[in-house]
Amino acid sequence: MANRIDRDEKIDLTPLLEVLANRFRPRDDQEAYELIVGACQEAQRLYGWVPPEAAQAIADHLGVTINRVYGLLTFYADFRTEPPGKHFLWLCHGAACYVMGSSRLIELLRDRHQLVDHGVSPDGELTLHVFNGCLGVCDLAPVIQVDHHEYWGRLTPERLEAAIEALKRGDRLEDADGTAG
Amino acid sequence: MARLADRQAFERYAAEAQARWERLWAGDHWVISVGISECSIAKGALETYRHLELLLAQEGIPATLRRVGCAGWCFAEPFVEVRAPGAPPVVYGNVTTDRVPDLVHALKRGEVKSEWALGARADEPFAGVQPLSQHPFLARQRRLLFADAGVIDPESIDDYIARGGYRAFLKALFEMTPDEVVAEVKASNLRGRGGAGFPAGIKWESGRRTQAWPKYVVVNSHEGEPNVFKDRRLLETNPHLVLEGLLIGCYALETPYGYNYIGGEHALAVERFQEAVRQAYELGLLGDNILGTSFSCHIRVRTGGGAYICGEGSALMYAIMGQRGQPRTKPPRSVEEGLWKRPTVLNNTETFASVPSIVLNGGAWYASLGTEQSTGTKLVTIQGPVKRLGVAEIEMGMTMRELIFEVFGGMREGYRFKGVQTGGVSAGPLREDQLDVPVDFDSLTELGGMLGSGGFVVFDESVCAVDFARYLMAFNRYESCSKCNPCRLGNPALVEILDRIRNGFGRPADLDIIREGAKHIIELSLCGLGQVAPMPLLGMMKAFPEEFDAHIREKRCPANVCPIREAALVAAGDD
Ligand SMILES: Cc1cc2nc3c(=O)[nH]c(=O)nc-3n(C[C@H](O)[C@H](O)[C@H](O)COP(=O)(O)O)c2cc1C
Ligand code: SF4
Ligand code: FES
Repeated sequence: MANRIDRDEKIDLTPLLEVLANRFRPRDDQEAYELIVGACQEAQRLYGWVPPEAAQAIADHLGVTINRVYGLLTFYADFRTEPPGKHFLWLCHGAACYVMGSSRLIELLRDRHQLVDHGVSPDGELTLHVFNGCLGVCDLAPVIQVDHHEYWGRLTPERLEAAIEALKRGDRLEDADGTAG
Repeated sequence: MARLADRQAFERYAAEAQARWERLWAGDHWVISVGISECSIAKGALETYRHLELLLAQEGIPATLRRVGCAGWCFAEPFVEVRAPGAPPVVYGNVTTDRVPDLVHALKRGEVKSEWALGARADEPFAGVQPLSQHPFLARQRRLLFADAGVIDPESIDDYIARGGYRAFLKALFEMTPDEVVAEVKASNLRGRGGAGFPAGIKWESGRRTQAWPKYVVVNSHEGEPNVFKDRRLLETNPHLVLEGLLIGCYALETPYGYNYIGGEHALAVERFQEAVRQAYELGLLGDNILGTSFSCHIRVRTGGGAYICGEGSALMYAIMGQRGQPRTKPPRSVEEGLWKRPTVLNNTETFASVPSIVLNGGAWYASLGTEQSTGTKLVTIQGPVKRLGVAEIEMGMTMRELIFEVFGGMREGYRFKGVQTGGVSAGPLREDQLDVPVDFDSLTELGGMLGSGGFVVFDESVCAVDFARYLMAFNRYESCSKCNPCRLGNPALVEILDRIRNGFGRPADLDIIREGAKHIIELSLCGLGQVAPMPLLGMMKAFPEEFDAHIREKRCPANVCPIREAALVAAGDD
């Protein structure tokens, strides 16, 4: 998931078309409208972003206009209409994480890695989404979900720096969730 | 699996499920349960599970390994419950994969490993382990919605039925008219758990009264606030309870159309609720002519895409309809004109989950819980540096002090309590001297706080009141849907003023400008987001006036958080 996809690389729509054919079968117009967001979420799960070809395929499949699809893609914070970097960082900026210092992590990523919300770092390694809500794992605050499965918890700027180093080397951080200490 | 044809078929099925449940806990094999939830997965519960699986096989221990939901004790995840033959189940906390061999080997030797135990599911102490119900996190709780949390497998409808699930729905379907169901919900005085506290029974009654078809019943599981995580935990740990509440709601409104709108970020909650719907269809508790009656019901699950505003009722309905989720002016209210312009009853996840016990035990019984004006139990979450972070279910009316310092264990080592933010991004904080306020709808409001969805944020001395106010304002600014001007332009202006103050350029007049601007935003905004957006800021100014003063007059941030320090140094020509 979320592998680096160059803009000029061709998107293979087969898996998306399969999912659409199997799981997105509206019985009427109303249901077709209801399914747009879900279909876009599937596309993002498959490609790490919603490429224009995928958006068009969704519009065609559901019989809605491409404007309608982009209207939603640009409304919701979760969607990406640009390719992501190699690794995906989902930084929680919920209240627990704020209280425990997530602002300092956001500053560090901005100042040291030129990485801002919804951006990609210049080396193409990291994508950052700052989540304006709670990731639901507040006991680990402040926390970052990495590549959709791993968590870096109880972060300090120093631990985040070490975690990023390890990630780029392809290693795993010792005590990643921060609860051993 | 064949669809159950009628009530007798359900009764037979339930009896079998119950017998299986009892056999599970009686035989001379081990029963080992691992809590699998979003937060335990984050702490490695899946590794713990796999490790246990491997080791039990290696050691040749005859055991049933189960997955259960979370029990609300985030602080103790991952947890493992072990029932050895002849002994009561013992719950162990913080069983990370490295602890698994020690635990299994000790148990095999017949040792109880009491130092890792949270408690035993027994009325008396067992081998040095206290009853779980006496654990300080649980002793003061009253669990209705969370009664089976961490006990049943959320992905098993049989577990739910074995524990009495779907009894309330059957009672409504076979023994009550829709009007009688609404009457019980009204008698319970159940107030909406999504924030505003509107009586659910009255909403259901207006929904019934509107003469237009079809009607819709919708669960609001969006939970996009930054300060709460209770609805997704409920869906993760007992999805059938919410589904049963929704079914009863559809029956009360005499409609076959139910929805659950779940925040797309809550992946496990979505997955488990969808699985619950699938199982209910399979068993014939959803679909056409349920259990041979004329009542049919179909449930659709829709997911959000990370816009807080989509939790607002009218915005949520546009979002379901595949439009940008922006609120509209009211009236008409949703119960008159909601989804697809039809009467729609929208309630919070927790509100629906409270309905089965009301139908089973009666509205009067429910009304005897909690306080007179805020009946029943409430799921609450506390965030911040407390010792026992998690989800608790308490009777309304417990004081905030008891909640923070007894249930959630008070502050972690090295942190000093400064305040607790209530009502998330919609109200103000309480200070230490205000903590004796009862946690219910009306008492908190009197102090400028809010029960809201029940998510409270405890903060310590390292948090600056001005910076915290800015954080909460910036949240509302970011999440504003930009449909109306007071909210779209007013909130950024307030953030800008706060930034000026944080950077050391605040002026004494700024506080008045904030008050004046806030008044306009509150009075003129179109929806509930704008109408309360400045409340956290006003609340912080009221609770911590000395901090705003220090920033503005003394150009100093007492908590040493704001960029003011560097600004002041630059101004003084010093570096
Ligand atoms: C900006 C905004 C966000 C909201 N988010 C939620 C939410 O995530 N969940 C929820 O149940 N109610 C939310 N509400 C409240 C709903 O509008 C509505 O009052 C509630 O879902 C009704 O259910 P209840 O009466 O059971 O509380 C929100 C309101 C506003 C103004
Ligand atoms: S108050 Fe804010 S969120 Fe509500 S409609 Fe107006 S701009 Fe949108
Ligand atoms: S606020 Fe970050 S996980 Fe809850």
